[in-house]
Formats: sequence, C-alpha cells, structure tokens
Amino acid sequence: MRRIAPLLLAVVALVAACSNTGPAVDVDAPTPISGEEMETLLATSTQPLVVNVWASWCIPCRSEAPLLNAAVEGFADEIRFVMLNVQDSPSGATGFIAEFYPDTSPPASDLMEHYANASGDIPVQLGGNRGVPMTFFYGPGGELVSIHFGVIDERTLALQIDELLVR
Amino acid sequence: MEFTLLANAAIAAFAGWAMLWWEGRRGNADRCAGSLWDTALIAVIVGIFVGRLVEMMINGVMPWLHPGDIVLVRAGISTMGATLAAVGTFFWVSRREPVAMADGISAAALATLSGWHGGCAVRGACLGTVSDLPWAIAQEGSAVTRHPVEIYAAMLFAAAAVGLALWKAYGRPPAGVPASLALLAAAGIRLITEPIRPSLGGGPVWFYVLGIVVGAVSAVFFWLRSRNPSPEPQTP
Repeated sequence: MRRIAPLLLAVVALVAACSNTGPAVDVDAPTPISGEEMETLLATSTQPLVVNVWASWCIPCRSEAPLLNAAVEGFADEIRFVMLNVQDSPSGATGFIAEFYPDTSPPASDLMEHYANASGDIPVQLGGNRGVPMTFFYGPGGELVSIHFGVIDERTLALQIDELLVR
Repeated sequence: MEFTLLANAAIAAFAGWAMLWWEGRRGNADRCAGSLWDTALIAVIVGIFVGRLVEMMINGVMPWLHPGDIVLVRAGISTMGATLAAVGTFFWVSRREPVAMADGISAAALATLSGWHGGCAVRGACLGTVSDLPWAIAQEGSAVTRHPVEIYAAMLFAAAAVGLALWKAYGRPPAGVPASLALLAAAGIRLITEPIRPSLGGGPVWFYVLGIVVGAVSAVFFWLRSRNPSPEPQTP
C-alpha cells in the first residue's frame, strides 16, 4: 500500500488538474440550413472552406473536434470553417459545441459557422448518407478539392488545409 | 476498424521482427536472458495506450469521461507520451539487464521506425510540405508537388538500422553505445524531417533535441566507461 499511495495521489492530482471546472458556456443552436442553401453558401464563398459534418452522438466526431479547434485557431483568417450538424437534436448539438469548442480566444465556436441540416440528414450535395464524420475541403466558389470520410488525423487535416492555401 | 493503419503497423512490426531475426542469427541476444521481441511488443502496446491517453488529455477530452474514444488511435497519439511510456516499460520489464537488452533492441527499434514511416504508402500519408524537387509527388487530384517526407524518414531510419546492426555484428561496440546511438539517430531523424512534415501546431521539437542530447551524452558516457572499466572488487 505504501508503494501505491504516491501513485494514487499522483493520479488524483492529475485528474483534478485536468478536469474541466470552468463555467458552462452559452452557445447558440446551429442555424438550420437545407442542402440547396448549403450549395449556395459554398458557391458564393470567396474563401476556401472546410466543411465538417458531425453529430453529438458520434464518438469519432468528438475525437477530431480538438483538431478542428486547433485548425480554426491557426487558419480562421484564411479559411472558413463550416460545421454541419446532422441527425441530431438541438440540445445535443449545443451541448457538444459548448463542450468542445469554447477553449480558444475568441471562442472557436464564434469563428466557426455552425449549421444544422433541417431534415436531419447529410445533404445529397455533401455525399448523402455516408455516415459521420466527414470533412470536405473546398476552394473559393465551392470547387471540391478533397473529401475525407471518417475521423480525420492531424497530418491529413494539416495537409489538406495547406493544399487549399497553396492552390 | 482502420485497416490501413493496421497494415502500416504490421509493416513496422515485420521490419522490427526481421531485424531481430537477422541479428539473432549473429548472436545479438546471447547476452540477454529476456526475450527482446516480447519485451518490445509489451513496450509498444503500453506506449500506444499511454500516448493515446496523453493526446486525449492534451486536447481536453478526458479519458474517464469518454473511455470509448481511447480506441480511436487514428485521432492521434502523443509522440512524447508514447515514447516515454514505451521506453519506461521496456526498461522496467528488462530491469535485470537493461543495457544488454537496450543494445539488443536498438537496431530493431530503428528498423521498426523505418517500417512505420515507409508504410505510409498503404494509408496514403507520405507527403509533406510543397516542393519543386524532381522527386516531389502530388497527391491525387492535385498539381501541387510535395516532399515525400515519410519516405525520407524511412530511408534514413533504414540506413541507421542497417549501419548499427552491421557495427554490432562486426565492430564489437562498447556496451550501451548502440542503444545511445539509436536514440540519437531516432531523435535526429525526427528533428530534421519535422520542418517538412504537415502539422497544425508543429511537432515536439524540444523533445527531439532532448533525445539527441541524452543519446549523445549517454554514448560518450558508455564509451568512456568502456575505456576505463571500474576495477573488479578483490576477494580476500
């Protein structure tokens, strides 16, 4: 027990240090958007876009959220980050945004554009029901550069963002 | 299930196993009572697990709140957390003969890293920053050519692994020096390829510099110790 006690203390200290004890963040529910409206948004954009399709119940979406947060922090001036919530409830979506996108200054949730598909499905214009998460990379004017299905890793996200910027 | 990642890991494991097999035929593990392969496998598994936990915590996703996320290795593993945990586990398991075991695994560890980086081809993850060099490659659907940075790393790791294995086989290096040089090489290769590797926040450069310093200092220490061995205690 004597040997384990310092280890237990260290674990408790680590848990206490890492636990999020900050105040709850108020966020707005994502703006409803149809597939056609999304298509117009892409076509009229003068900046490159990263479109991430996600849902609050999707575990891989949660895992890639910190990466998207980091990307927004670094590239929000040059790239629009559009987050499309699908197959979800408004409370689930706002809870997810409050939990995963509040830690930057200004909050990443303000730099991201949050939408929810009104029908609750992934718009056909974004590949239809291929499952979440999906991340689309568009050039200005909605030119599709690449699609990543499934959870995205840092290397792929960084490479595709660089591809958008150097084209 | 991420099959391309598994295939990449299998290539890395095979490269490490092949090096151990080649070295084993030349008496690499004769000084070791423990199994190099088993010990390395345990260290790698612990390293991946701890590296994933550290990465989650760094990103603000607490493993005890979201335990299901731990299996999503694709979402990221902390290089620093994984390395420290793997090295710590290796030395703990082989604590009876740490220097001999570390020397025994040194070339195989570099070969494993070569396999890991070279296996980027199976998951389409070889490219780095933009380059106009003749061998630069464009990703599918793009005209922008890039450094095949993971191939550079794989070649450098392979050269280091083969060089170290040959030295161990024919040069009789002092105990502790091969492991020290392997650490120096691994950290150095990661450091020099880091600037051309795509990243959102930059890699842990200071960690690689620390690895180089520790590797260099320990190599000098073991080399000096081999030249001035401490006298055997005299029995009455």
